Amino acid sequence: MQFLAPLFSRIRQGFELLVAVLLGSMFAAFIIQVVFRYILNWPVGWTIEYVAVAWLWGILLGYAFVVRDEDVVRFDLFYNAFGQRARRGMTIVSGIVVAGIFLWALPKDFEFVTFMGVEKTAFMHMRFDILFAAYIPFVIAVIVRALWEVRRALRNEPENNGAQHFNPESESHV
Amino acid sequence: MAPNISIRKAKAMFDAFSVSLALIVFLTLFGQSIGVAMIAGTIVYLGIKGQDTSIAAETVLQGLYSGYTLLAVPLFILAADIMNVGSIADRLMKFSHALVGRFKGGLGHVNIVASIIFSGMSGSAVADAVGIGRVEIQMMTKGGHIPKSYAGALTAASATIGPIIPPSIPMVLYALVSDASVGYLFAAGILPGLLMASMLFAVNTWVSHRRNFPIDNSVPLSELPKVTVEAFPALMLPVILLGGIYGGVMTPTEAAAVAAFYALLVSVMLYRSVNLKQFFHTLLSSARSTASVGILIAGAIAFNYVITRENIPNVIAEYLAQFDFSPLGFLLIVNVLFLILGCFIEAGAILLIFVPILIPTVNALGIDLVHFGVVVVVNAMLGLITPPYGLLIFIVANITKEPLKAIVSDLMPFIGGLLIALAILTVWPDFVLFVPRLFGYQG
Repeated sequence: MQFLAPLFSRIRQGFELLVAVLLGSMFAAFIIQVVFRYILNWPVGWTIEYVAVAWLWGILLGYAFVVRDEDVVRFDLFYNAFGQRARRGMTIVSGIVVAGIFLWALPKDFEFVTFMGVEKTAFMHMRFDILFAAYIPFVIAVIVRALWEVRRALRNEPENNGAQHFNPESESHV
Repeated sequence: MAPNISIRKAKAMFDAFSVSLALIVFLTLFGQSIGVAMIAGTIVYLGIKGQDTSIAAETVLQGLYSGYTLLAVPLFILAADIMNVGSIADRLMKFSHALVGRFKGGLGHVNIVASIIFSGMSGSAVADAVGIGRVEIQMMTKGGHIPKSYAGALTAASATIGPIIPPSIPMVLYALVSDASVGYLFAAGILPGLLMASMLFAVNTWVSHRRNFPIDNSVPLSELPKVTVEAFPALMLPVILLGGIYGGVMTPTEAAAVAAFYALLVSVMLYRSVNLKQFFHTLLSSARSTASVGILIAGAIAFNYVITRENIPNVIAEYLAQFDFSPLGFLLIVNVLFLILGCFIEAGAILLIFVPILIPTVNALGIDLVHFGVVVVVNAMLGLITPPYGLLIFIVANITKEPLKAIVSDLMPFIGGLLIALAILTVWPDFVLFVPRLFGYQG
C-alpha cells in the first residue's frame, strides 16, 4: 500500500486546488451578482445557481478529499476518556458500522443520482445528475476513511482523529 | 401465529426512530463524525421503514442546493480569515488602545473594545479568538503585569460577543431551522451584544481593582486622530455591512460576500498585507472549515427528515403543553437545558439538532422567534466557554500555553457576568426586539 502514498498526496493536492478555486469562484460570482443587480440594475440568475453548485460540490468534495481527520466535528469528550486499547476497539466497531451502512446505501444512491439526469437547472441548464454526482465520491470517501481508521486500529498504528491533536484554526467556525 | 406476534413485538421494541437515534448516539460517542453519524442514522431509519434509502441522499442534496441563506456561512468564514491574515486586527487593536487604554484595567478594556469592533465584521467566535484574540493576548501580556491566564480568559469571554453582534454564522444556522428572518435576527443581536460587553467591562474593572493590575502607559490623546485614520478603512466595514443589509440594498448573504471583498481590498490595496499565496491558503483553510461545518449541516438536514416524518416536534410540544409552562418558565428551562448541553456539545450541533425540536413549542407558547433565536445563540456561545468542553477555552489555552485549569478559574467571573446578561435578555424581549422593530419588525 505504501507505494500509493505519493499518488494519494497528488490527488489530495489536486482537490485542495479545486476546492479553493470553488470557494474563490463562488465569492467572485457573488460579487458579480451584487454589481449587476445593484449597480448596473441588471439582475442575473446564473450567479445564484453557480454559487449553489459551488457550495454543494465544495462541501461534498471538500469533506471527501480535503478535510483532515482532526478537522472533523466530533463529540470526542466521551471517546477521549478511554484508554488507547478501548479506543481502538471503539474505532473498529463504529468504523465497520459506518462503512457498512454507506456501502449498503451506495447502489441506491447511484441510482438516484443517475435518475436525476432527466432534470435540468433553470438558468445554466446543467443536468442534475452531473450536479449531484459529487455525492458519490463523498459516500465512497466516507467508506474508505472509516475502513482506513479500522485498519489503523487493527494494526495498532497511532491515532490521527483529533484525540491527540487539537487544531483550533480549522474547527467548525461557529 | 406465534412468530408473527414476536415479530410485531420486536418491531415495536425496535421501531425505526429509536434504532436510528440509538445508532447516532452510539456512533457519535464512539468517535465518528457527528454529521456522518446523522446521515447513517437516516439511512438506517429509511431501511427499517422499507423506504428507498436514497431519500437520505436526495434530502441532503436538495437541502444543501436550495439553502441559499447558508451560502453566507462560507463567505463569513472567508471574510474573517482574510481579516486575520491581513493587518486589520493590528490596526483595530491600536485604535482601541488609544481609545480606552488609559483607564483602570485598561488593557482588558482594549481587549473588549477590539472584540466589539471585530464582531461587527466577523460572524464566528472561533475566528475572533484565533484572529484578533491572538493579538489581544499578546498586547495584554506584553508588560508582564497581567497573568496570561487572565488575558486568555478575557479573550475567550469577549470572543463570545462575535456572533451576537451581526454578522453571525450561528444566527444563519438558527434562521435555517426556525424560518426566522436573518436580517431581523442580526438586528436583534446588536443591543444584547453591547449588554454582554458592558458586563465584561464591569467584571474587568472589578477584577483589575481587586488584583491591582497596573494602569498601562496609555497612548496620548493627541495620537488618537492618527490611529483612527489608520484604522478607518477597517472601521468602515461594519458600517458597509449593516448599512447594506438594513438599507435594504443587500441580502445578508450578499453582504457577506461584499464584506469578504472589502476586507480583501483593504488588506491588499491599502495595507498591502496579503499576497497571492496567502490568499490561496486563506481560501483553502476557509474551504476546509466550510466543508467540516457543511457536513454537520448536511447531517442535520438528513436527520431533520426523520424528525419531521416522526412528527417529533409536535409530540414534544403536546407533551410539554400538559405542564402548562408560561413562556418565561419555558425560556428559563431552555436556558438551563442549553447551558448544560453547551458544556458537552458543540455549538453548531446544538443549534442544528436541538433547536428545531423546540420550535413548535415556541410557536405554541407565543414566544417571538427572533427573541428565542437570540436567547439560544447566546446560550450556545456561553457553551463555548463553559468547561469541560468549551472550544474557546481550548483555543486560548493553545495560544497562551497556560493550563486549562488556570484559564477556567479566571473565566468564572466573566461567565457570571454573561449569565446576568443572558437572564436580562431572557426576561426582557422588548429590549432584544427594540432594534428589529426600528427596522419594521412586526413581532
